[in-house]
Amino acid sequence: MSLASGPGRARTDTAHLPDDLRLYIDKHVMYIQSLDRRKDELEYWLTEHLRLSGLYWGLTALHLLGQPDALPRDEIIDFVISCMHDNGGFGAAPGHDAHMLYTVSGVQILAMLDAFEDFEQRVQDGKRKIGHFISNFQNRDTGTFAGDEWGETDTRFLYGALNALSLLGMLHLVDVTKAVEHVDSCANFDGGYGTGPGAESHAGQIFTCVGALTIAGRLDLVDRDKLGAWLSERQLPNGGLNGRPEKLEDVCYSWWVVSSLAMIGRLHWIDKEKLATFILRCQDPELGGIADRPGDMVDVFHTVFGIAGLSLIGYPGLQEVDPVYCMPKSITQRILAG
Amino acid sequence: MASHGVPRVSASEAPTEKSRQQELRKIEQYKELVNLVNTKAAEQQYTTEVLALTSTLLKTNPEYYTIWNYRRRILQYQFNQYVKDRALGDENHQDGQANVGSDLITTDLRFIIPLLIEYPKCYWIWNHRLWLLQQSSTISGDSVSLQLWQEELGLVGKMLRRDSRNFLGWNYRRHVVAQLEFLGQPEKESESMTETEFAYTTRMIKVNLSNFSAWHNRSKLIPKLLNERSADESARRKVLDAEFKQIQRALYTDPYDQSLWFYYQFLMSTISPSAKRSSLILLEITNYDRLNFYERELDNLRDMLDGAEDCKWIYQALLQYTSIYLELDAGNKTITTSEMRAWLEELRKLDPLRKSRWDDMEQRLNL
Repeated sequence: MSLASGPGRARTDTAHLPDDLRLYIDKHVMYIQSLDRRKDELEYWLTEHLRLSGLYWGLTALHLLGQPDALPRDEIIDFVISCMHDNGGFGAAPGHDAHMLYTVSGVQILAMLDAFEDFEQRVQDGKRKIGHFISNFQNRDTGTFAGDEWGETDTRFLYGALNALSLLGMLHLVDVTKAVEHVDSCANFDGGYGTGPGAESHAGQIFTCVGALTIAGRLDLVDRDKLGAWLSERQLPNGGLNGRPEKLEDVCYSWWVVSSLAMIGRLHWIDKEKLATFILRCQDPELGGIADRPGDMVDVFHTVFGIAGLSLIGYPGLQEVDPVYCMPKSITQRILAG
Repeated sequence: MASHGVPRVSASEAPTEKSRQQELRKIEQYKELVNLVNTKAAEQQYTTEVLALTSTLLKTNPEYYTIWNYRRRILQYQFNQYVKDRALGDENHQDGQANVGSDLITTDLRFIIPLLIEYPKCYWIWNHRLWLLQQSSTISGDSVSLQLWQEELGLVGKMLRRDSRNFLGWNYRRHVVAQLEFLGQPEKESESMTETEFAYTTRMIKVNLSNFSAWHNRSKLIPKLLNERSADESARRKVLDAEFKQIQRALYTDPYDQSLWFYYQFLMSTISPSAKRSSLILLEITNYDRLNFYERELDNLRDMLDGAEDCKWIYQALLQYTSIYLELDAGNKTITTSEMRAWLEELRKLDPLRKSRWDDMEQRLNL
């Protein structure tokens, strides 16, 4: 079971988009289902190093579209387990090395399928192994997390660790206070956060830092008005959002920016209708999927973040998304209530 | 999987049978190479031949992180062999061998450059480069290592000339600088590069005022620079005034560029009563000083409106800093509520996207 990318191909360009834009739910479901059948495209093979995250993106999109069973549950669980290493980490696909990013995707998929018990039955001590794989990457002096044994550190990995450990109920394995101190040391004068101390504010990293602080219950450290102002300035006249000042808009920031605004209670500081129009214009109306910008190649990454962005701003017909986890709210609520 | 800026293919360009066959052949070739490399990895083969195979594969797919890991294992093995040989060998042998380890590193550093240029946003390539350089002290000794790190500064400069906003490039630059400062320390009393890095941001800004990455780095360097200069209050004051003058000139050139306004926000934040000590420019600032600053800046902002009445950033700044100014001096009557209301109305007109933010501002400021 594998959900690779593989570009979508449309017969129309944006000039022919209908005036009454809408979300092509059925097309998107079909697009995501088709991703595992694109083995005659080189792109499918070139993106194997993202497979497990691709599966998480596709599955999340399907849940938000109200079609959680559109992919076969058993095959997904088989695939997830086939990516797991003895040390408790997951690679992107069988034979790929274990890494924090794919371990988090693995945990999120199991959570979404309500499959922790199935997993535990098939992999003895599986959850504990995952917990230890993740917690071993924390530097106990600085609070940071590495992504793998090679030691790259980034606030993305810190967020991923807190995300997965909280879903597993194992946050006690790490020093959350130290992790929070590290995030705080990444704060900039503009209210934003970067990949590490000293790094420029970037909407993707802001999502990870604000997400981590939310999980740790330390949103009090965020200057909400200042950060909210910076984030709201990401919206451009065409309704789309960019990730840093003076950069181009891109659908994935419909997630990173908007989820951050939601977490700090400033979601109303952007124009939701214009954003919805922008995201809808990025759809492939023929074969489904969403692209970074109108008229571009679609992929599952932009598809999920476009749909999740639409869910956050209350677009009708979608399941509510949790801005911290990028998973259906009904699922995170159930798990975290534990 | 996450394609950016690639135009969608329309039906008229749908693949022909011939191009479909070509695609299938490419897939076969790619899969064969992947299988071959993975077989070698499973057999724990760490030879130069396999290293070359990973080069071919990584050139086709630099995002294949597992192959970068394997490449490092191969190099690690070869480094270890070299270190062992060196320990066993005699003096002459050592001289001959001295280059082997260094060669491995420099060859690999060279191998990466075209990849970096083609895929400047691929994390794994930058990571591999850092790893190689980190190995260089052990393998080649400190002086060679120092030289390699110095060359990196040139490389990252080139990368940032190609894309002056590449945040992976800027991160890498900060890392290289920190390493150079660390490695240089034993020889000289102070090997700080804060001054030269500060000058670098000045050059980058001169090329393109809109380079927020450079402005950002500047905001991080200034407090450090002043501490390292052991600057007294009047020297600090001079620096702050020069920065204000510079950004003022830039804002007159292009008042619609938000990069400039964010740097302006940084300067203003350093004189705010709630500024963090670590980011201060002036260390001793009285309320009286603050009021003077705010008055001067609010006057400047009002002047800026002349000819740029449609620039929302000016109204935003006027409202933001007036509210702090009034908090500092509650009895002040130089700015009236009706003036602030007029600015807010302009803001609403010019920037309807953020309408609710202006509503919140109205409430917060009691307008």
